[in-house]
Amino acid sequence: MSKVLEIKELKAKIGDKNILKGLNLALEEGKVHAIMGPNGAGKSTLSKAIVGHYNVEVTDGEIIYNGKNIVEEEPEERALDGIFLSFQNPVEVPGVNNAYFLRTAVNARRKHLGLPELNAAEFLREMKALVSELGMKPELINRSLNEGFSGGEKKRNEILQMMMLEPNVVILDEIDSGLDIDALRAVSEGINKMKDGKRSFLVITHYSRILDYIKPDYIHVLKDGQIVHTGGPELVEQLEEEGYSSFEEK
Amino acid sequence: MKLDILNALDSDSLLKELKSSSSKSVAASALAKLKVPNKKTEKYRYFDIEPLVTKDWQVADIAEAEPRSEGKKIVIQDGALVNSGDIEGLSVELAEFSDIDSEHFDGLYFLSHLMAKKAIVIRCSKDSSFEIEHIFSKEESLINYRVVILVDANTHVQAYESFSGDAKESFVLSGYDIFVSRDASLKFIKSHTLKQTQYTPIFTSRYKVDSNANLKLSSFDFSFANGLNIIRVELKESANIDASHLLYVSNSAKYGIVSEIVHEGKSSTSSQKAKSILDSGARGIFDALIRVQHSAKWTKAHQNSKAILLESGAYMASKPQLEIYIDDLEASHGSTTGQLDEQQLFYLRSRGIKESDARKMLILAFAHEIVATVDDEYLANKIYAEFERAYYGNYELDCIKTCDGCEELVLKDEQ
Ligand SMILES: Nc1ncnc2c1ncn2[C@@H]1O[C@H](COP(=O)(O)OP(=O)(O)OP(=O)(O)O)[C@@H](O)[C@H]1O
Ligand SMILES: [Mg+2]
Repeated sequence: MSKVLEIKELKAKIGDKNILKGLNLALEEGKVHAIMGPNGAGKSTLSKAIVGHYNVEVTDGEIIYNGKNIVEEEPEERALDGIFLSFQNPVEVPGVNNAYFLRTAVNARRKHLGLPELNAAEFLREMKALVSELGMKPELINRSLNEGFSGGEKKRNEILQMMMLEPNVVILDEIDSGLDIDALRAVSEGINKMKDGKRSFLVITHYSRILDYIKPDYIHVLKDGQIVHTGGPELVEQLEEEGYSSFEEK
Repeated sequence: MKLDILNALDSDSLLKELKSSSSKSVAASALAKLKVPNKKTEKYRYFDIEPLVTKDWQVADIAEAEPRSEGKKIVIQDGALVNSGDIEGLSVELAEFSDIDSEHFDGLYFLSHLMAKKAIVIRCSKDSSFEIEHIFSKEESLINYRVVILVDANTHVQAYESFSGDAKESFVLSGYDIFVSRDASLKFIKSHTLKQTQYTPIFTSRYKVDSNANLKLSSFDFSFANGLNIIRVELKESANIDASHLLYVSNSAKYGIVSEIVHEGKSSTSSQKAKSILDSGARGIFDALIRVQHSAKWTKAHQNSKAILLESGAYMASKPQLEIYIDDLEASHGSTTGQLDEQQLFYLRSRGIKESDARKMLILAFAHEIVATVDDEYLANKIYAEFERAYYGNYELDCIKTCDGCEELVLKDEQ
């Protein structure tokens, strides 16, 4: 199996605090990887390190994507090359029209891939179709980006972006938190639709429920800044029953 | 003519020196008291007034030729009315004007009135919408003129002000006296790009808003050179003003707004919002006072200033002030100055939008709230375009508003 994204001995800090402490993880092409782990273990920090968030300072180790170390790359370069993070808490951007924003992003990516840009009408047709698939209110298309969106609406908007941007690596940081049952189903269906045997997923979650919809190939346990255990889907049950304490830190 | 030498004169000599009619003695005594401003004058403390009042100006003659009367636009060139337009419900004429605001705080307001022999008086007796274009072409001159707008009772008017012409190294001293009568409303929209090599404008105005009348001011100033807008507003009983100002200043210019809103009548309301974007070495000015007088019970007054500094050398002189003489009111004011939001910037970049484009989007978003106060969509788009041209040179940004347009199209062709 070829590895799409490989994280080697990654150390990272936020401010003065060491959060990731020599983390190793490899995402395989076309597979769904899930990460579970206690609050504060460093799951969001890992996802931010992968996309180049300004708060996270990588002090050691490598993130290899498409054969090159991307640790020094700008966030937009990583995104254009196909890495997508659905944020745990998407920010609100008042005054930036949701459709306008997404079209700019989609066309930037298309241009990067050497594809023709979409005009406003083509783009909106596609966006509207996905909006209705995800059960979003059509009015959200023309609102300001995430402004005043409910928790669930923000999460669906992240999935909408993911579906339009068609990334190669999709990181979902607690996409399931704050979603009602219908939303969870709609979002999961959206994600499943994006599985094409090539695209890889990293699903960060606290709940096994979403993993009933999106079947993971691997489960990783992240504790205190390291992956302490990797197993198959059967691990979910064990975690549910025993919690994280039985998984020792390395 | 040097303006500062007028400070040696008493009010009678001022009338004589400036060849003003005695009907303007109010202005003469006010100027004798307030004086032509200098660098110590409080209201001019953030601005470079000195060079303007010490220079020996050639005062531009104002031609009194018969104006054309065609189209929906009133055109004023170097202070002369050249087209009075053909607008239903509007009369436009030159007239001696003496209903001067004796309480105004600005010496130049009075000086401007004393120097102007006649004012361009626009009377609105029916609901209407029109444009006033100011053209400045005379170089190295002092161009002074006054415009008066009277909105009759129960009449609803929109006026849009635009500017053109270079008038290198001139000093434009002008402004409005605007009267919004009982139960009337005026939407006044100003959009002005001032280039580096152009004139220095000081627009010094007064607005009188009568009972139950409504004034909505939206000003858009995109400036690469010094300039000042001076505003005094009186609100009578249950009168309302909604003022929104967008300021973009660059190129080490000093530009801004000095205002006083005076609540005179009961239950009057005011809201004033300024957003400023300051680039390389620029100074933005928002020196704004709201005064609530004894007579103005149950008023509401809200004032807010937000500024974004794009460069470390930029500076915002933001002074929102409330001066209140009663208890029975609702009032607030606030002021913030900061940079673009890092989290928002990152979010956009994490979707593949390059940093310069992301910054651009956020700056337009910041401006959006003020542009959105213009409900005339055509004008709002025009103002957006003007802002983009000022900010990015000729760099064209893809449609923002068109998204709604296309959305409608798409909906339509699918039905
Ligand atoms: N901006 C920040 N400043 C200081 N500390 C931070 C910051 N962001 C995260 N941390 C700290 O880093 C540690 C790891 O946080 P992270 O968000 O990665 O945890 P997590 O595993 O995603 O937790 P959760 O399951 O609660 O989302 C926590 O102790 C957190 O307090
Ligand atoms: Mg987290």
